Amino acid sequence: MSEPQLPAVEVEGLRREFKTKGPPVVALDGVSMKVRQGEVFGVLGPNGAGKTTTIRILSTLLLPTGGWARVMGFDVAKEPEKVRKVINMASGAEKAGYDFISAKRNLWFFSQLYGIPGDVADRRIGELSERLGLTKYLDRKFYALSTGYRQRATIARAFVNDPKVVFLDEPTIGLDVMTARSIRDFLIEEARKNGRTIILASHNMAEVEAICDRVAIVDKGKILTEGSPEDLKRSLGAPALVMEVSPPQAGFEMLAKVPGVKGFTSSIEEERGLSTVQAVVDSDAAARAAEDAVRKAGLKVVASWRKQATLEEVFVALVGRGFKEREEQDVV
Amino acid sequence: MKARALVRLWSIFGEPLWVFVGMGFPVLSSLAFSLLYYSIGAAGYIGFAVLGGVMVSFWGNVLWSMASQFNWDKQEGLFEIYLTSPASISAILIGMSVGGIIGTVPSAVIVTVLGWALFHPAVNASWGGVALTFGLTLASLYAMGMVLSSLYLTYGREAESMNEVLQEPVSMLSGLYFPVLGGSSPFPLALQAVASLIPLTIGMDALRKTLFYGDSVAQVWPDMAALAVMAVVLLILSSYALKFLENLGRKEGTIAVRIR
Repeated sequence: MSEPQLPAVEVEGLRREFKTKGPPVVALDGVSMKVRQGEVFGVLGPNGAGKTTTIRILSTLLLPTGGWARVMGFDVAKEPEKVRKVINMASGAEKAGYDFISAKRNLWFFSQLYGIPGDVADRRIGELSERLGLTKYLDRKFYALSTGYRQRATIARAFVNDPKVVFLDEPTIGLDVMTARSIRDFLIEEARKNGRTIILASHNMAEVEAICDRVAIVDKGKILTEGSPEDLKRSLGAPALVMEVSPPQAGFEMLAKVPGVKGFTSSIEEERGLSTVQAVVDSDAAARAAEDAVRKAGLKVVASWRKQATLEEVFVALVGRGFKEREEQDVV
Repeated sequence: MKARALVRLWSIFGEPLWVFVGMGFPVLSSLAFSLLYYSIGAAGYIGFAVLGGVMVSFWGNVLWSMASQFNWDKQEGLFEIYLTSPASISAILIGMSVGGIIGTVPSAVIVTVLGWALFHPAVNASWGGVALTFGLTLASLYAMGMVLSSLYLTYGREAESMNEVLQEPVSMLSGLYFPVLGGSSPFPLALQAVASLIPLTIGMDALRKTLFYGDSVAQVWPDMAALAVMAVVLLILSSYALKFLENLGRKEGTIAVRIR
C-alpha cells in the first residue's frame, strides 16, 4: 500500500492578532484547512476577511500568534528557510519589478534569488513567457509595459523557480477580461499538467468558481465553509430569487423576517430607477413569501426571476449579507 | 549577489541621462570649492576639493541608492519577494553595493579629469597606499550604507528625510573638502572624536595623506586598520540588524507593509 501523500498545506487553529492603540484586531481566528498537492485551492471572502493574512503567514512574511501551519511539511514559523525553497508568491497589487530594466532581465534577476543556473533560468523564462503571451514584450523596460503585461510578468516570476506551492493574492485584480482569462488558463494548466499547488486568495467569485478545485469561504478571520464550488452551490437547495423593485431603496430588512430566506443582498440602479434584490431561499414557497413581503412593504416588484446560485449566494446564505454590504458594515 | 549588482548597473547605464544628472552635484560642488581655494590663494587645498568631489559621488550613492533602497523596495512590494525567497538579504545588499560602486565610477572619473584639467592640483602620491585606502574607505562606507539600509526598514517615507538630515552634516564632519582631523582641523578635539566614528572621515584623512603628502602604507596603517575594523563591524552589525528586523517585522506585521 502506498503512503498517503504529504499535504501541500496544512493549517491548524491558525490565529493572528494585530496590535492597535485600542483592543487588538483579530485577523485570523482559528483557521484550519488542508490542501492536497496539485490542487487549486481558493480562499474567498470580502476585504478584511483574513485572506491576505493567511497568505502572508503561509509565505513566511508573518508569524502566527496561535496555531500552526506547514507547507510541504515544513513549519512556517520554525523553518521559514525550508519553506522559502519550495514556494513562490505574487500579488495583484504589487508592481514587482525594477522599472528601468527589461521584463526579461527582471525575470532573470528574480530567478537568481533561487540560485537557478543561468541556462535553466533562460529556458524557463522563455517557456513561461510563451505560455503567458509575454514573449514579444520581454525586451521592453518594465515601466513601459501595460498593466496587463506587467501582471503577466509578475505571474511568470511566481513560477520561475519551479515552486511546489504558489500563493496568489488577487492575481487578476484590475485586469481586462482577456488578460484575466489567459492568466486563469495558465494557472489551471500549471496545476493540471505540472502538479503545482496553487492557493488563490480572492474576492472575485467568478474567478474562484472558474479555476478552484476547492474553496474555503472566509469571513472575519474564520472559515465559514469549505468544499468544491459545485458542492457549495448545491448545498443551497433552491435557486436564488432576483427581484427588481421600485421605487429604489437601500434597506430590505423585511426579508430578514421571512421564513426560508437565508440572506439577501441589494443594490440601487439609479439610472433605471429601481433596486435589485437577490435573496437566497431554501424553497419555492420561501421565494413567493419573499416577494409578498416586499409588496406588503408598499414596494412594487417590477420583475422577478430565479437564477442558479453562485458562490456569492453561498456567502449570503452563510452570513446573511453580500460581500459589499459586509465590507460597508466593517467600515461603519 | 552578482545578479543584484547587475540589476543596479543595468538600471544606471540603461538611462544615460541619469548618469549625466548624477554627475551634477559632485562636479559643481568640487568646482565651487576649487574656485574658492583658488581665489583665496589656498592652491594647496584644490586637490582636497577634487578628491572631495570624487568621494561625495560615492557618499551620495550610499545615501540615496543604498540606505533608502530597501525602504523603496518595501513600498513597491519587492522586499516581500526577497524575503519569501531563499536568498540572503545581506548578499543582496552586497550586490547592490558592488553595482553602486561600479555605477558611480563615471561620475568620479569626470570629477577627477575636470579638476585636474582646470586646476592642475599638486599630487605627491604613494599609489599603493592610495589604492588600498580607497578600497578600504569604500568597503567601510558601503558597509555603513548596509547598516542604514537595515535601519531604514523600520521607517516609512520619512527615510528620505533621514537622508536629508544625514547628508550635509556627514559631508561636513567627514571633511570631504577640507581636513578635519589633526592640527589643521577647524573642529575642537571632541568634535573630531565624534567625526572619527564616521568611516568617511578616516578614509578622507588617509586618502589626503597618501595622495597629497606621499605617506606610505606603513605610515597610514592605523587609518587602514581602523577602516578595516569598521567595515567588518558594520557588515556584521548590518547582518544582525537585518535578521532582527526581519523577525520583528514578521512578529509585528510591519515588514511587508506596502504603501499603495
